[in-house]
Amino acid sequence: MNQSPFFIEIDTFSRMKEGEPICGDCFVTKKVKTEQRMVIVLSDGLGSGVKANVLGSMTASMAANFIVQHEPVQRTATAIMKTLPVDSERQMSYATFTIIDIRHDGETHIVEYGNPRCEIIGIDGVRTPERKKVYVDEFADESRVMFTFSFKAKKEDRIVFYSDGVTQAGMGSLNYPFGWEEGGVRTYLMNHLKDTPQISARDLVRKVVSHAVAKDYFAPKDDISCGVVYFRKPRKMLICTGPPYHNEDDARMADLLNRFDGKKVICGGTTARIVSRELNRDVKVGMVSEGGLPPSSKIEGFDLVTEGILTLGRVTKLLDELNSTTINGDGPAVEMIRQFFESDEIKFLVGTKINEAHQDPNLPVELEIRRNVVKKIVRLLEEKFFKEVTIQYI
Amino acid sequence: MSKKVQVKICFGTHCYVMGGSHLEMLEESLPAELKDYVEVSGSPCFGHCEEKTAGTPPFVEVNGTIIEKANIELIINYIREVLADGIRE
Repeated sequence: MNQSPFFIEIDTFSRMKEGEPICGDCFVTKKVKTEQRMVIVLSDGLGSGVKANVLGSMTASMAANFIVQHEPVQRTATAIMKTLPVDSERQMSYATFTIIDIRHDGETHIVEYGNPRCEIIGIDGVRTPERKKVYVDEFADESRVMFTFSFKAKKEDRIVFYSDGVTQAGMGSLNYPFGWEEGGVRTYLMNHLKDTPQISARDLVRKVVSHAVAKDYFAPKDDISCGVVYFRKPRKMLICTGPPYHNEDDARMADLLNRFDGKKVICGGTTARIVSRELNRDVKVGMVSEGGLPPSSKIEGFDLVTEGILTLGRVTKLLDELNSTTINGDGPAVEMIRQFFESDEIKFLVGTKINEAHQDPNLPVELEIRRNVVKKIVRLLEEKFFKEVTIQYI
Repeated sequence: MSKKVQVKICFGTHCYVMGGSHLEMLEESLPAELKDYVEVSGSPCFGHCEEKTAGTPPFVEVNGTIIEKANIELIINYIREVLADGIRE
């Protein structure tokens, strides 16, 4: 999102009801690159388990698609209600949703239906824009009413939205007879943000969800989900892979890396050697390879130094398989993905020299062309994880 | 013998896929009598794979001498030779 005064970091996290195989709360996030918009929908499907998941996914994806196409909320809601199957027990078709539509300049529209209210928290405390009532259709009674409101987000604002699993966490317990409740969540958020004002969306959603899970004595009684939109100063990362096409550019590449303000990652043995030579810093190589990849090395001033094409290949595979920003395990590829997740603006500095040693027909086919692998990673980071990515060839 | 034999294993892509990945087991595979005389370390790509004359990867450097098509047996034999030479001197 160019010329945006801030980076919009979005993350979501869910824990499913104890004993259920699948979560009934669904998030759908869509990025409309041409209009520089983001649309995020949280839907809590009726009941829990597979049925709830089907209802929730349908609602969330329909809502996101309608809103992306600029359909009015009322038509969106009516269409969803007409499409959802009628529940056999409750004789109604129903799923809640929260729709957040953000323009790159911070102009935000929110629609709430059935979910707990979302919190808008800025540096100066909680903001409460006036909510407007919208009836789902002309026959709707007071129980079928949506709330819409708009506001202009500023830097350091956060939108926190969650399912009723969070507000009802701990319900019936001695300390929280009525659950955590919206007030309790708000107090928790305020206290937490006072202590750690820079906390990322990724960390905050996990904190809120795990806190709610704890209130349910670690056996959630409902699906518990939380999403956070954080309008933040972008965290930058530069990843350099491949030697420059012309040898004269070696120094320029090393200089670009050295002067960069942010996380720095080198991916490639030859690249590491060039940087080490140009900056006159030693490369220390580890001895233990993890996860079937060559071990990572260390160069002073760099956050990560790994082998090149094999690691990039593995990163592509892992990013493709991941469905959230939770990643377990060790090894250079996993470490690189963690670095990606902790950054907002990622720049690839790609050397275009062809590695003649890799043109050996004895080598396995996994050795793909670097530029193609990088393109795949860039696409995944942009479309799946909503990072701002640029590529510079050298 | 005061100085240890320095073994450097290349962990560049080319060497790694051509069999170098097994060489990280070298330290554990060393016979007991050699263990005290050898120091094993990893290295980024030596660049030998780009020189046509150097041979076929994986490469290992033992006291600066390049061994091509390296495997654990080959390296251990070479270390023995180096140590034997050292004693003769």
